[in-house]
Amino acid sequence: MLYVKNLYKSYQVGKVKYPVLKGIDFHVAQGEFVAVMGPSGSGKTTLLNCISCYIPFDGGSIMVGGVKLAGQDEETLAKIRNTKLGFVFQDFMLLDGLSIRENILVPRIVQGEVGRDAEQLAERLADMFGIGHIMDKYPADVSGGEKQRAAVARSLINSPMVILADEPTGNLDSKSSRIVIETFIEAKEKMEATIFMVTHDSFAASFCDRVILLKDGTIYRQVEKEGSQREFQDKLLDAIREMSA
Amino acid sequence: MTEMLNMKEMERKLQKADRKHSRLYLICNFIALTIISAFSALMCSRTVQTVFPEGGDSRKQMYAIFVMTLAGCVVFTVYAVGLFFRHKSRQLGVLMAIGASRRMLLPGLFREVFFLSSFSAAAGILAGFPFVGIIWGLFRLLLVDSSEMVLSLDFRCLFISGAFFLLVVGSACLTAWRYLKKTNIMDVIREEHINEPVRELGRWCGPAGFLLILAGGVMGYYAPLMWMTIFSAYPPFWLSVLYVPVFVGLYMVMLHTVVHGWKIQKKNRYKNIISRGMMKFQGRQTVNNMLVITLLIAGAAFAIFYLPVGSLSSLLGYRAYTCDYFYQYRADQKIPGKEAVVELAEQYHLSLKDWSEAEYITLGAGGEGDVSDKDGHFHMEYEVLQREVRVISEDAWYTLTGQQAEVLPGTYWYITNAQETNIYTYEDAKDLTNMVTRSRIDTEFAGYLHYDLMVDEIGYFVLDNEEYKMMAQGLTDDWRGRIVQFNADGKDSYPFASAFYRLFVNSFDESCEQSCTYDRVVKIRENERGKTYWMDTERGDKYKISFDQTDSMAFKMWWVYRPSFRILLINDYLRMTGVLYMMFLFVFIVCLTTALVICNTRCRTIALNNRYVFDDLKKLGAPPAFLAREVGRQCSGVFVTPSLVGMITIYLLFSGILYANDGRITSYEVIALGVCLGILVLVGVVVYFVYRSTVKTIRRQLAAFSS
Repeated sequence: MLYVKNLYKSYQVGKVKYPVLKGIDFHVAQGEFVAVMGPSGSGKTTLLNCISCYIPFDGGSIMVGGVKLAGQDEETLAKIRNTKLGFVFQDFMLLDGLSIRENILVPRIVQGEVGRDAEQLAERLADMFGIGHIMDKYPADVSGGEKQRAAVARSLINSPMVILADEPTGNLDSKSSRIVIETFIEAKEKMEATIFMVTHDSFAASFCDRVILLKDGTIYRQVEKEGSQREFQDKLLDAIREMSA
Repeated sequence: MTEMLNMKEMERKLQKADRKHSRLYLICNFIALTIISAFSALMCSRTVQTVFPEGGDSRKQMYAIFVMTLAGCVVFTVYAVGLFFRHKSRQLGVLMAIGASRRMLLPGLFREVFFLSSFSAAAGILAGFPFVGIIWGLFRLLLVDSSEMVLSLDFRCLFISGAFFLLVVGSACLTAWRYLKKTNIMDVIREEHINEPVRELGRWCGPAGFLLILAGGVMGYYAPLMWMTIFSAYPPFWLSVLYVPVFVGLYMVMLHTVVHGWKIQKKNRYKNIISRGMMKFQGRQTVNNMLVITLLIAGAAFAIFYLPVGSLSSLLGYRAYTCDYFYQYRADQKIPGKEAVVELAEQYHLSLKDWSEAEYITLGAGGEGDVSDKDGHFHMEYEVLQREVRVISEDAWYTLTGQQAEVLPGTYWYITNAQETNIYTYEDAKDLTNMVTRSRIDTEFAGYLHYDLMVDEIGYFVLDNEEYKMMAQGLTDDWRGRIVQFNADGKDSYPFASAFYRLFVNSFDESCEQSCTYDRVVKIRENERGKTYWMDTERGDKYKISFDQTDSMAFKMWWVYRPSFRILLINDYLRMTGVLYMMFLFVFIVCLTTALVICNTRCRTIALNNRYVFDDLKKLGAPPAFLAREVGRQCSGVFVTPSLVGMITIYLLFSGILYANDGRITSYEVIALGVCLGILVLVGVVVYFVYRSTVKTIRRQLAAFSS
């Protein structure tokens, strides 16, 4: 579903070039829920932004559903973002002037006219994630957890191949975080959604099928889920401790 | 169910939700366009164009202030569009992030900015006309009214407003294009939160700025003089570039002021850490705004100083005249004599006294002049027929002034005013020529005599009686003339003065329809050399005066035989110069208003950008008084520094100009400068009130944000 091969990315600050990603290789299968973890500056968000086609990368290749991202024109990249990818941001990125229902429908609106089927899908997603009662409210009137669930619903409205989530629980309390993670799991189980999530939170990551640990722009280790969620979290914490040492 | 089903409707809804930011943008554009439209309408009006002498200093100053205001408004509108897009960028970024292509967003965004910019600009242009009409009407109603004050607009001013309109719309569309062209979508999303990168600003910045101001000022002022001395050529235009360090220095001083401040906090170095810390992230953009505000305050001060400096020395000078009525005329003109004047005065129940008359002659005087060479250089050369001068004898001097002058043969005395501020001083004549017989005598400057009424552009020499007689021999009546002066016995009569003025002017024939710039001696000299005198060419047209407009300011100021009737000069002064002064008063109002609007907007932006800091401080337990003080500090930098710099600079500039005119500050000028100082205090009070009101508004907004 998602293939990343030998990915390189650096940032230029003045005359100095700072390499951030130094040859990243991995793939995510359909229906898989994968998290990326690592210390600050390890390149997690840069990796996600490259996959999201938000920023250009220097070398290597990224393939989403068989389509290579490198070399595509702006128009095609926009189409890929709209149809093949879904996004969930740390700060929700809902449009303040639109109601929750309208926000969920934005990716469809960008495609053109919104039909009855899209509205029904939005309703179903909202019900599935427990936000059906706030559909006509505006972002300013709902809680952070509800906003993020609306963002997840928005990311699923076009039935994308991959949902890319950047620290989706970063701005939420533990209760809301859990609800959002459960939302992802529901999307994975009921809609066979493929989820690629960047997080700092080992608790959130422990719900994933696999965790990629990044260190200094390279993959330090990949940890597969075994046992219960709690056991997996312990395993993750050990791996992180080992990486920090 | 949602009613919003397509992109267009979604954009419309988002625009509606964004109307707070759109309104700010609309208001900024509207104000800028109203100001430029009103200013250009008045500047290009026939009312102003007729009164302001073409090529004159006042017109140049008016244009210079207009350019300053225009620059201020351009920066202001560019800043406003930047602010609008800073708020808009998140929305654009989110739409791009979830798959809206640039091509998809382009039409809606262009439609929005085109509508906002063109609507606000067009409304501003239209509002400029009633604005200028109302202000001018108030001037006429409350201050001065005359036939010359009737506002007659020339709609060619729309070219200026039109160009500004295109600039506003163009810059808005260009900014929209720039945002959509960004390749990094994350940059677009985070634009609202991006501040200036913090670069450490050395403490040397301010002192170095002062050095640059000084160096630029000295270089800019002396370079043309040095150029002329070294190369014997007129300085090229580009030499003005040497003034550039002044502006760079000003920028550095302001940057230092907002980032570091000038107070050395030895006791409590953490005192201003919050306000200085905030400024580290927006010091440069704040300083850009402050420079514009400085320019506008300087423009306002320059315009308002024009009133006291221009009018006080004239009015005080008229009051100091020793005679109520003074005039001179050529002997070939049939001017009413004493009997006719006395008779006219009686009609107005006025008796006259102290009547005295004397004869004068007009001669050619030698002098130094710069002669242009073909290669753009020039050299100084003594010309025998350098200029026309009026000459009186020792006896005539005594008759008119009651003062004795011991003039030795072979010398001349030059008459100047009591303050010795006459800008035309002819000390270099070595010979005098009778323009009819061409007889010539050698002469030499002996010194100054003082009589305010005999100071004009042509000037008077006093000669020894015998020498005077010798030079007068053979002169025809058009080179001879009479000087007359008298006083009103008792209270003077304005109606008489007015009637006599009309009678006097109407007695001249067309050969005297000349401005004081016209020099008959130079004309003869040039014609004898086979050349055309420049005043007889197209260049001279703008200096021409006409007997058809004897009540115009130009005629009353520049006619070569203009009389000095004190009561007329004093009473007609404001009426005569009304357009000139009201124009400058208008410019003052416009510049000050624009500066204060920009101050207000800038302060609100700073507070808006730092609202989270204020909120955090509140959460950390900062008392309301502390927060109020911090808001006040932020705003005071924006209000105080540009106001002080602008006002002090222009005050010093005016003092310098007054000093440079004649190498001294006269008592009249001291009074005028005192009045200017008073005006500055009043302007300071206005600025303070706007500052207080801005601080109050910001505190209210921050309180609303926190709650």
